[in-house]
Amino acid sequence: MTTKHVIATTHTRSIKNRFARRFLRSLLKMKRSNRLGIGTGTGFQSNEEIRKRNTQRIKTSAYRSMARVVGPRKIWSRALLFKLRNQARIQVGLRKRCLVSRKKKVLRKETKVQVISKGPNRADNLRKLVPGGDSMDICSLLEETAHYIKCLATQVKVMQSIADLYST
Amino acid sequence: MESEYFFNAGVPPQALLFEQTSTSSSMPIWQSHSSPMEMQDNCSAHRLFNSNWEKSTDHGPHLESTLSSMVSSPGLSNCNVSSESFMIRELIGKLVSNGNSSNPGEISPHSQPMLAASYFTAANNSANTSCYTTPMSSPPKLNMPVMDQFSKEHLNIPSLGKPMGLNSSVAEFTADPGFAERAAKFSCFGSRSFNGRISQLGLNNAEMAKGCNPLMGNGKLARVASSPSLKAVESQKRDKSSPLQDRSDLTNSQESSVSEQIPSGEPGLKASMELNSRKRKALSKGKTKESASNPPVNATKDAETGDNSNAKRIRPNEGEENEIDPVKAEEEPKGSGDDSQNKANSKPPEPPKDYIHVRARRGQATDSHSLAERVRREKISERMKLLQDLVPGCNKVTGKALMLDEIINYVQSLQRQVEFLSMKLASVNTRLDFNMDTLISKDMFQSSQPLPHPIFPLDSSASAAIYGHQQQQNPPLHSNISNAAVTHCSMDPLDTAGLCRNLNTQLPPLDGFTQNAHQYPTFCEDDLQTIVQMGFGQNPSLETFPPQNFQGSNQVSHMKIEL
Repeated sequence: MTTKHVIATTHTRSIKNRFARRFLRSLLKMKRSNRLGIGTGTGFQSNEEIRKRNTQRIKTSAYRSMARVVGPRKIWSRALLFKLRNQARIQVGLRKRCLVSRKKKVLRKETKVQVISKGPNRADNLRKLVPGGDSMDICSLLEETAHYIKCLATQVKVMQSIADLYST
Repeated sequence: MESEYFFNAGVPPQALLFEQTSTSSSMPIWQSHSSPMEMQDNCSAHRLFNSNWEKSTDHGPHLESTLSSMVSSPGLSNCNVSSESFMIRELIGKLVSNGNSSNPGEISPHSQPMLAASYFTAANNSANTSCYTTPMSSPPKLNMPVMDQFSKEHLNIPSLGKPMGLNSSVAEFTADPGFAERAAKFSCFGSRSFNGRISQLGLNNAEMAKGCNPLMGNGKLARVASSPSLKAVESQKRDKSSPLQDRSDLTNSQESSVSEQIPSGEPGLKASMELNSRKRKALSKGKTKESASNPPVNATKDAETGDNSNAKRIRPNEGEENEIDPVKAEEEPKGSGDDSQNKANSKPPEPPKDYIHVRARRGQATDSHSLAERVRREKISERMKLLQDLVPGCNKVTGKALMLDEIINYVQSLQRQVEFLSMKLASVNTRLDFNMDTLISKDMFQSSQPLPHPIFPLDSSASAAIYGHQQQQNPPLHSNISNAAVTHCSMDPLDTAGLCRNLNTQLPPLDGFTQNAHQYPTFCEDDLQTIVQMGFGQNPSLETFPPQNFQGSNQVSHMKIEL
């Protein structure tokens, strides 16, 4: 490849590469912790449950690494990091008191449904999808969406490549 | 405001001054004949005009035209004054009455009805508007029939009161078809000349030209009586007089007048009454001063004609000629005092510009909203375009709503994909977790320039351990082995150890691998656009070996774990 091409693709490559590195590192970390979990709980936990949890973890880690790579420049990454942190906190709390949080969740869902039913809009749908889109006007929402889509696409690509690499 | 003021005070006078100066440039002839004339009052001046006329008639038609313009100049000033202030009006009335009373007597010996008519017109102009002077003086045909009317009117003037008399005279003037034709022609001339200047002089003149244009376009005879025709006729005068005189003179006088306009214009406006007398004195002093003192008068006139005549007078004149009276009555209260007159004169320039300004503001005000909206829409459409490029299949869709739908779908699909892939990875992770290290190392090495060396060692360490010749080939790699191995393997010493063992044991045919290792530096430095591609790119290169390798390593790791 020519150097020009390298220069042209420097930014995306850097994002992609950084994301890949972060993601793989987090996967590695997870694997280590997983191994411990597997080692301890192979007999207790069903395979499905483990997989489910792992899936969730991997997904979270992927999102988080992406957000970390993007950094606090973008609204969506900030919102995503905040959400993940909160989720982690909630999850930590969930284990202690499942019922209470579930009730709360139900309540929240109800309120959300009410809000949505007020005005089912395409922009609102998009707001739901893009992290941190609730507090954005349409202009910045579109901008963030564009960036988010870019990052998601790279994320998917990287994950796909990794998965392919492993699955083969 | 200032610019506007200049437009009114300075610029249109330029046009009118041109005529004035043209008359003044024609003055040499005059002054040679009538130097004492200018020293005296208006009345005496007018009388002396007659005397001058007697002398100047010798010069023939050439002088006639110049005379007409000349006569018009005092008439112009008078007209201005009359419109400006009541006092002036009175003066003019006197003048007219004097002219009426005295002039016929003087003219009659002449036995030149034409000249008398022209004189009458001059006298009339002082009361009416100067525009009538030129048509009357220039066309010999017209003068004769109009003569009687004039005499009657002039007789009427003192008795009826000035405005009424003026109006009647105007009415009759306008009633005359021949004159109307003339005036129409003149207005055309004037409008042409004005149009020529529009580009130079700008806004106000443009407005004035507009004021003149309707005359030209409609050719309405009634309007000829209105003051715009005054300008037109004046400009026509200039046209008439200019061929007679040297162009250079005209230009010079114009330039001088222009230079003097601005300083003299403002003070001149303040006391139009005094200005009149001053003007007479100035006339005696010289042409340049006359031209300097004239512009303010012209300016005031222009201001009034520009505003009042264009806005008010045209309509009344169309309907009833007598309605000029109220207009003038309106002007009179304005000009009760010199200061108020000054204000009235300074104000008229405002309305047109204010109007325009307001209009612009209005447009802007409405525009600012629409502009902001437009900017927002542009932004959105820009983003949409960006998204269109990003989202596949969005190019076919038209309409923002559909595009948004498409975008939403795409985002959802991507998120689902991420979930699916994470699931896949999770399933893979349980099986192939050991490969993470190698993968990380590979990916890091491939992806990251910052850590190219540490990765070599991993690959090369295995290869190096096996193949000594490779170490020789890659001395730097070998040297890196310890560090890299430590850094990367520090995370998973056991795994790396196992990996090393694996590699040692399971990968005897590592020629390809080493080749890869050789290629790595070039790879990572040059392109390796994406990790993905790297992964893919590596896969083909490692096709034969790595899978087995990974599996082997997996097994080893599992075994280890189990152990």
